[in-house]
Amino acid sequence: MERLSLKEISSNSKIELLRELGYDSDGEFVLESGKKLLDRYLDIPIKLDNMVILPGSIIILDNNELSLSKYIEEFGDVF
Amino acid sequence: MSSEEAFAGAVKGTIDWTVDAIKRFVIKLKDKKLAFIQDEETINLVKEQYHSSELSFYKEYVSDKEVLFIVNMGLTLRKLQSNSDRRTNLRNKIFDKYEVNGLHIAQFVENGILNRYVGILIDNMSSITDFKDKIIYVLKNIEKHVLFVKKEDNERSVIQHVTPSIASNSPLIYIISGKSSAAEIVRKCEDRLVQLLSDYTLEKISSNEMENLFFKRVIPKE
Repeated sequence: MERLSLKEISSNSKIELLRELGYDSDGEFVLESGKKLLDRYLDIPIKLDNMVILPGSIIILDNNELSLSKYIEEFGDVF
Repeated sequence: MSSEEAFAGAVKGTIDWTVDAIKRFVIKLKDKKLAFIQDEETINLVKEQYHSSELSFYKEYVSDKEVLFIVNMGLTLRKLQSNSDRRTNLRNKIFDKYEVNGLHIAQFVENGILNRYVGILIDNMSSITDFKDKIIYVLKNIEKHVLFVKKEDNERSVIQHVTPSIASNSPLIYIISGKSSAAEIVRKCEDRLVQLLSDYTLEKISSNEMENLFFKRVIPKE
């Protein structure tokens, strides 16, 4: 699977990407229906600057070892 | 258009994507051919750990999925020894999700204590079922089996914690573990603990950074 880093991508492009996926951002956090989207494994708001977007019905997570390990546990090593 | 070609208008390290590129990326994402990540290091570490032999070993013997996941987090913490910011961040995440018990299980694994504990169990193993039960029991009741000494502790507070804990739980193995400045506190307690825990034999795992005292209960001969 191709992996594309969001680190050097402008905020505008990341927000456009989120909108294309049906989400949004206030410039700091990822939003879903106007509310902060929570990381599905940690229940913490996901920052635009630290999000990862993964396949599997489109999963947006905070970039940390715990959430990513949980993702791999749930969906397998898709990377 | 390739992903590389989509990076139009790079200015001072900030890259803008064209609208067309974003649409193509989304199609690839939905086709499970693309993932948007932050850094390769985190993904690679998580992948490496998921496929590690050590985790595979524990998958065989730790049946509780949640506990097994925390074991995985302990192994991941060990891999982050040289990156204190990421290690601290992960410790905080483990604490937020699994509270102090979960963090202590992860520390137990991170410091290599579980590996030695398993070795001692194997020496005295009566059956695989018994072995599995004992591993899961110690992990789920970590506070009864291990004292993680903190830098704020002193010899007196360690002794005051250990003796009643052993008296009330009578564990097969009791471990006193200290890292960094807490390792020195553990070393200072050793002689007194050996005197007090006369029903136990001592085995030590020491390094400059760490001191782990394993007190193993002596089984009386018939």
